[in-house]
Amino acid sequence: MNRFNFPDLGIGVGLRTVHFSHILGSQPDVDWFEALSENYMDTGGRPRYVLEKIAEQYPIVLHGVSLSIGGTDPLDFDYLRKLKSLARTVNARWISDHLCWTGVSGRNVHDLLPMPYNVESLRHTAERVRVVSDFLETPLVVENPSSYVEFATSTMTEWDFLASLAEESDCGLLLDVNNIYVSSFNHGFDPNVYVDAIPDDRVVQVHLAGHQNHSTHIIDTHNDFVIDEVWKLYGRACARSGDVATLLEWDADIPDFPTVHAEAKKASAFRSAGSGEWGVGSGTPGPDLAPALPLPTPQTPHPEVPHAV
Amino acid sequence: MQSDVALAPLQEWMQSVVTHPSDVYEAADAAEIAVDDVILPSRTLQPIQRVGIYHGMYMLRMIEALTVDYAAVAQFLGEHAFEHLVRDYVQQFPSRSYTFNRLGDSLPEYLASSTWKRRTFLRDLAKLELAMTHVFDEAEAEPLPADAIASIAPEEIADARIIPIPALRLLALDYDVNDAFQAFRDERPMKPRRQKSWLAIHRRDYGVYRMPLTREAYVFLESLAARQTIGSAIETFHRRFRRFPAQSDLFTWFRDWSATGLFTAIEAE
Repeated sequence: MNRFNFPDLGIGVGLRTVHFSHILGSQPDVDWFEALSENYMDTGGRPRYVLEKIAEQYPIVLHGVSLSIGGTDPLDFDYLRKLKSLARTVNARWISDHLCWTGVSGRNVHDLLPMPYNVESLRHTAERVRVVSDFLETPLVVENPSSYVEFATSTMTEWDFLASLAEESDCGLLLDVNNIYVSSFNHGFDPNVYVDAIPDDRVVQVHLAGHQNHSTHIIDTHNDFVIDEVWKLYGRACARSGDVATLLEWDADIPDFPTVHAEAKKASAFRSAGSGEWGVGSGTPGPDLAPALPLPTPQTPHPEVPHAV
Repeated sequence: MQSDVALAPLQEWMQSVVTHPSDVYEAADAAEIAVDDVILPSRTLQPIQRVGIYHGMYMLRMIEALTVDYAAVAQFLGEHAFEHLVRDYVQQFPSRSYTFNRLGDSLPEYLASSTWKRRTFLRDLAKLELAMTHVFDEAEAEPLPADAIASIAPEEIADARIIPIPALRLLALDYDVNDAFQAFRDERPMKPRRQKSWLAIHRRDYGVYRMPLTREAYVFLESLAARQTIGSAIETFHRRFRRFPAQSDLFTWFRDWSATGLFTAIEAE
């Protein structure tokens, strides 16, 4: 159990509009749903109606993309008020967003832009996390992003930054193991070191997703099945943190709900302290798991236009 | 290597590069700080290529979001022209909201003042799609029972206000874009037809509907939507058309609009 006593909700699925009818009609045996906050804050239409219906039957967690916790514009308290109101309406178990910034000078780029990892941005972000947590009256849960650049001004690793941020701001962590894999490929670090460095008592939730490998870099597209290397990282995280609320994100080329749900349920093999068939805690590698993380093969740089996330 | 860029100028720099309308190389040339001073290379990509990933994704997201909101405009223009339109539009009207839902709010205004061929048709088509988006997201309200208006005492009718549901938008248009939009829905070619038209866009049971109106019905319903009393709405009608609405028209309008669920409350003076 994490230090915040946020419960292990089991294995959940990201709530997407293409699945609304299936979920309302079939009431699938899903442990919980994660809803993208911004999709429901400003609507009184069908999305909000469906979310409230689903919240009557399933635990809901709110996951945001526009808080801009690392941004240098002032915090948007209108946004935070609406977020808090929505969280109360759907009885959100917790609220998460990304370690990133989304725009400055009043603009929103609608992307999870990366932070430089140094003392200045650590202090800046930690102060904002404290303000947001106070306002929301619940510890904010911060997710590690996937990124495609590293800044010359960085003086610490992302995992050290995240651990320090959690300590200084007393926030929870949403460990996205796919993002760790994506960033490790793009920046050339060992993802196992990252997972091992995260303070496990602050991990409230884990994210899983698929991505697109462009050989020179990986884009976090959430448009495919989870690859074996990411499952292996998930198993490593489970072995450290114990059972923790786990969620599969699928945002593009979304298949039918049973397919998404079946992919999410693969996580059950790694849970219960890693004692499952695939669990790394048992010392038995899962089927088809790569023995080691492949390093990117140097090729002629060719930054393809990535899919929108 | 300039490695002492503070957080705020670094974010300003990166945003200027990522949102630049041209390619990432021109974006980098236009920026005050050299890319190599800010971004490190990876084993496979140079700094310019790494920041180029964000640059490429930015415009794709804008195009994707506006294609969802303006599917008919996008279809009419074709992929290449619509992409060009989006690049120009987001330069003039960049997103300033935490939600993508507001990104396209200024597209009709942009089109009206643009030099695009068929801009008046495109503006009206965009107005229709924007109204549908707004109606989709408006707050839900219980519609009045169909017989509620008929039950108002005769001596109170003139001073009564009939309050429309929030999910209602009224449009006065220079083109018959309702017909064009239906063609789009039916996967037929959209043919711009210059003809004044009036529409009520409304929502019922979470479905969005388009209701064609006559000019007279539009003027009367617009007055009610502006919270005029029924008596004032009739006076407005008289000023506009130099005649009073026919009793039969009033009866038909109230009957049809009530049955459609356009009203949510009656307020007496």
